[in-house]
Amino acid sequence: MTELMPWLGLSLLLLVGLGVVFTGIPAAVVLLAAACFGAVAGAISGTVPVQLLGALPERLINLLENDLLQAIPLYVLMGTLINRLPIADALYRCCLVFAPGPAAPVVSGIALGALLGPMNGSVGASVLALSRVAEPRLAASGISLPRRAAVITVASTLGVVVPPSLVLILLGDAMLNAHTIAVTTTGRDDRVINTQDVFHGALVPAALYLAACLIIGWWFNRRSKPGETAPLKTALRPTVQQAVLAIVTVSAILILLGGVATGYFYAVEAAAMGGFILLLAGFVSGRLPLPVLNEILREALVLTGALFFLLVAATTLTLVLRILGTDQLVAGWIAAIPGGTLSATLIVLAGIALSALVLDAFEIIFVVVPIVIPPLLIRVADARWVAVLVLLALQASFINPLIGYAVMMTRAILKQAIPFPALLRSLAPYLFAQAALLLAVLLVPQLTHVGEGVGDRSRKPPAISNEELERRFEQMLPPAEPPPLDVEPRR
Amino acid sequence: MRFLDSLIGFLLAAAKWLALPIVTLLFLQWPLRTMLGLYSREANDLGQWLFAIYVAASISAATRAKAHLAADTIARNYSRATRGRLARAGAVFGLIPWSVIVLVTSWSLVRDSTLLLERFPDTGNPGYFIIKLALLLMALLVLVQGLLDLMPPVRQPSSQ
Repeated sequence: MTELMPWLGLSLLLLVGLGVVFTGIPAAVVLLAAACFGAVAGAISGTVPVQLLGALPERLINLLENDLLQAIPLYVLMGTLINRLPIADALYRCCLVFAPGPAAPVVSGIALGALLGPMNGSVGASVLALSRVAEPRLAASGISLPRRAAVITVASTLGVVVPPSLVLILLGDAMLNAHTIAVTTTGRDDRVINTQDVFHGALVPAALYLAACLIIGWWFNRRSKPGETAPLKTALRPTVQQAVLAIVTVSAILILLGGVATGYFYAVEAAAMGGFILLLAGFVSGRLPLPVLNEILREALVLTGALFFLLVAATTLTLVLRILGTDQLVAGWIAAIPGGTLSATLIVLAGIALSALVLDAFEIIFVVVPIVIPPLLIRVADARWVAVLVLLALQASFINPLIGYAVMMTRAILKQAIPFPALLRSLAPYLFAQAALLLAVLLVPQLTHVGEGVGDRSRKPPAISNEELERRFEQMLPPAEPPPLDVEPRR
Repeated sequence: MRFLDSLIGFLLAAAKWLALPIVTLLFLQWPLRTMLGLYSREANDLGQWLFAIYVAASISAATRAKAHLAADTIARNYSRATRGRLARAGAVFGLIPWSVIVLVTSWSLVRDSTLLLERFPDTGNPGYFIIKLALLLMALLVLVQGLLDLMPPVRQPSSQ
């Protein structure tokens, strides 16, 4: 019976996938139901000691006291504030000035997504802002509904790879835990990666993906109804006040990004700073009267709950899977993958991509990553490379046309029936770019190590030359007696 | 039942205001650390337990607003009655047993911490027991909300 328990865990994962897709019940509730079923089945069969469930409160308390997770309400609040303040509109109008030709509304929409991403951190908030600001303008330019939906979906996910996004922070934390397990197990002297490393590793791939999206947006819309874009550009010319607001916002984003990238302040502090400044700006400009503030705070509480409940549910299910021994079963499989680093990484990524058909990025980070990444990192030493590959796979999962979170959010917010084949056709170029980038990073790991120092990968002190050793040794010696003076001291 | 529903609504409506001190305290950490070199740990600890209470309340707020992430590509074709039955099944097999497990397994841990008025282990600042109490609050709110969801509705979604 005991040897069947790990398989029960695997079937629970399958059950979660089916439950999420076919019942329409919130994913977190499905995860909890699967966890409870696994725990009860294990206890009734006598193969799992009930006392092991006593570890659950400690794990949940860890979530409540995790510094990094404080970023969730901060980002959510920033996202809701951006939706209520005229920032997104000012940025869109300014982008429109610089974007060329008939594709300007699309290019500006994508650029707006990239600018908003680091500020509001969550894909849901970006979808809301883009649907409110860019979608009506895209419609006015004569761009079809599926293409509009594709632009909003893709633009809203750009923030995923641009630090300090929420997905990036949460993945950074999951990678830290996974890498710690791998380093402890193997006894390697690798320095355990942290969120900052994932930030740095993602910068070049993020820039490449943004460039690809802008080019795709321009290319596929460069001939669409040129007569309708010119009046739009004139009508939406930014006022001086809006231009100043846009410049201040972009400067603030650069300062926040720069501060986080250089380690001057933590990602959570950057998020808190952004939220605090937005609140202050709202109060000072009189745009946050009590009823509006009340609604913003209610929305922030609700969205925080939606994200945090997933975290709580996934933590519970992960514990049950560990108790059932499913993680060991999967670790054994990953260890047995034939070939080297590349084949193991490729197969694990394929598994994550498969999960993305039924789970969204947050569920993957909290349920799948803790199970499959530690054994992969035992085989693959380059944790930064693996982290960026997982990040890109997660970004792709958001635009998965079937149940991608960004796709679902866009469909829900646009409130119009979008035929699936048409949406798939509109998303296809972006999906292709995403796949090409994933392949490029897979084959060229150096893309994730640009600007990395020599000593960044190892805990071992850097090797030093004999000359350097002698110099340091001499520095350690006590100073020699002072030389005799040439002149006689004055009496 | 209506009283219980109103009470939870009131608690959640109050909890949303915690976002303001949380943002302020977590923002203040940076200037306090880099400019004054004082009280940044205190700001962090205070922000920490406010965050725990906020999060504990947020889950039930999302449940009441029907805002939890769900894939309804297929389920949107189901009848209202079927979706209602599925939601109740979710409460019976997911929310309620989970909250009971958490309440039972965490009771002694939370009780001991509260009786000792446990302090933060790193800084010695007071209030660490509140984080553990928040777990109990979270499970209790989920349990009550799960039971309320099994009853005929007494309110519109998202009214807090």
